[in-house]
Amino acid sequence: MQKILSNKKAIALFLFPTMFLMAVFVVVPICMSAYYSLLDWDGIGKGTFIGFQNYIDLIADERFLNSVKNSLLYAACSLLIQLPVSLILAIIVANVRRGEKIYRTTFFIPVIISSVVIGQLWQKIFNGDYGLLNAFLSLLGIPGQDWLGQESTALAAAFIPNLWQYIGYHMLIMYAGIKSISPDINEAARIDGANKVQIAWKITIPLLKPILQVCVTFSLIGALKIFDLIYVLTGGGPFFSTEVPTIYMYKTIFDSFRYGYGSAIAIFVIIECMILTFVLRLFFRDKEKY
Amino acid sequence: MKKVMRKVGAMLLAASMTVSLAACGSSKDESGSAKDSDGQITLTIWHQSVADTDPVKKIIEDSVEEYHELHPNITIEQDGVTGEQYKTKIKTAFAAGEAPDISYMFSGGSFVKPYIDASYLLPIDDYVSEDTLNSVLPGMLDGCTFDDKLYTLPTVTFLANLYCNTEMFEDAGAKIPTTWEELLDAIDKLNAAGYTPMILGEKDRWPGMYMYDIISARTAGNAGLEEAFGDPSKFNSKPFIEAAEKLQELVNAGAFNKNMMSMSYDEMVEGFAAGQAAMLYQANWVHPSIQAEDSPTNGKVSCIAFPVIKDGAGSITEFSGGSSDGYYINANCEHPKEAVEYLEYLSKKIGQVGYQQGAGLPCWDTTGVDTSGLTPLDTESAGLMETGTSYISWWDNILSSEDSETYKDLLAQLIGLQITPEQFCESMSKLSPSDFY
Repeated sequence: MQKILSNKKAIALFLFPTMFLMAVFVVVPICMSAYYSLLDWDGIGKGTFIGFQNYIDLIADERFLNSVKNSLLYAACSLLIQLPVSLILAIIVANVRRGEKIYRTTFFIPVIISSVVIGQLWQKIFNGDYGLLNAFLSLLGIPGQDWLGQESTALAAAFIPNLWQYIGYHMLIMYAGIKSISPDINEAARIDGANKVQIAWKITIPLLKPILQVCVTFSLIGALKIFDLIYVLTGGGPFFSTEVPTIYMYKTIFDSFRYGYGSAIAIFVIIECMILTFVLRLFFRDKEKY
Repeated sequence: MKKVMRKVGAMLLAASMTVSLAACGSSKDESGSAKDSDGQITLTIWHQSVADTDPVKKIIEDSVEEYHELHPNITIEQDGVTGEQYKTKIKTAFAAGEAPDISYMFSGGSFVKPYIDASYLLPIDDYVSEDTLNSVLPGMLDGCTFDDKLYTLPTVTFLANLYCNTEMFEDAGAKIPTTWEELLDAIDKLNAAGYTPMILGEKDRWPGMYMYDIISARTAGNAGLEEAFGDPSKFNSKPFIEAAEKLQELVNAGAFNKNMMSMSYDEMVEGFAAGQAAMLYQANWVHPSIQAEDSPTNGKVSCIAFPVIKDGAGSITEFSGGSSDGYYINANCEHPKEAVEYLEYLSKKIGQVGYQQGAGLPCWDTTGVDTSGLTPLDTESAGLMETGTSYISWWDNILSSEDSETYKDLLAQLIGLQITPEQFCESMSKLSPSDFY
């Protein structure tokens, strides 16, 4: 086996299928999008080459800037709300005496349900007429709201299901990480008189750092790419208040028939994700030196 | 020997993976028409009639078998995808050269125009028979003609009406409105009686578009609208500002449901059918929902022309709608003659049978067609159409795709009281001219 793996031809042969698939389904489409983004094209006939005009228009497009702002806001919520909640849940679930499996499965359920289904569920919760949330509030004597239909609450209402859905996902990764920490360390700490909070804070979390790095990366990139749930919940409305770049891209290409401009947004999202991943890696690498 | 075996094994594995990949890559091109040795012809048709409430679904499905019986050498393969997905699918298919022989296109000019400009579609003048053309109602071929060439045949047409729940009107002591003042009065009375006067699903944005389409037709008149489409700077004029003010007047009078911004089109229609509101302004394709057997409003709904506005240029005989969806032939179709023959057959069938079943109003000569299956609401709606003197299609079929989106977004902001009527008209005046009215 060692011999085969050191044979360059064999390596190439084994890598070929994946490399081929990656090239056909990832690299080539990205290159094509990059080319389309330089065109003024309705996606049907022939496009005209206009250089970087689409990108120049993008920078001045208030609707686009607003969508970027929304997605960055969502990314911040993911990092500051979603991950800490996941971490706390993971630590608790890993330490409960009974029903560990039940908790683990329950928190993971939203992840395996289709986003469209989740969107429908939350629509029923937020519904202004018969929604669960309004029904609950009316019991407390608080007047109901049209949560997804008014600018002041739509963004928060669209974010919450997104955050909620992936809490279980990150929890499971962290949970696996916690479980892989040797129990000896915990035991040693306990003998030294550390309480549970101290163990979690001083031992579990520092040892979990590589896992946290993975979660932060996934969470951030996932946040910049969110589309499905928001599309189902609000479609970007009302008045663009819940629009993110991916939704704007979809609408530009398939509703307004502006293929070139939409492609420019797609390229922006790709570059944005790459830059942020790179920054994150630098950030974590710096920390590792100490 | 063992080593060699292992190496061979690894090679074989890799080879088999590559082969299976290649197998995926060379799947047969099934969308194009094919003629095999014994003269059999297969034609493919894509459409968007997939909802069970849509009578056209069954007409197309039946036509496949019937047509095969009439012409044993021709097999039709049909495939349907629902509205918004259909738009994406057909566009991708044409770009990839995998479009079907016959494809459904949304009515009016702006959706189909790019496909015609790109020479993806076939003019059918050379193939279509004189008989067929003679049985189309006068004027109905206009929407099928581009640059003096005929591209499709009409099917059924749709008209937007104001649907009123008579039971609620009676209960509230309100009069079915014929003028704007009466409409406002009815809204007050309905509100006082605890009913939602009018239901609107503005999440999808186009239901609101229908409201402005008709209100501006009442203030500016259809002639005024046509002028504005040719020269959009005219949108920034008194009748259009007035129409925008009237729309906001409705909003301020509490005409619409509070959750309109989060309500979709489907929820709106089902909500009206379930008795959530007293009025709905929509096209006659909502009839199947209202008339469903389990619908609480079945038999309690009456349809009228949208009320007129005093001193407005528009009259009660001017309508929104009147254009027809159509099926278009692929320019690369290998059997244009057979495809057009099927098109004639199908268009006429949808026109006549669809009318019988309440799918829409006919574009074809319907003498001798049994209309006993029509409900009172269908007949009422057909009666309104007969009074019509002028029709303007939905604006998103007139304006280019890009402008339609701008228009719908602006309108949502107008209805949400985010912008003033003046700002709205100022932005509308910057649209591109269109000649598809």
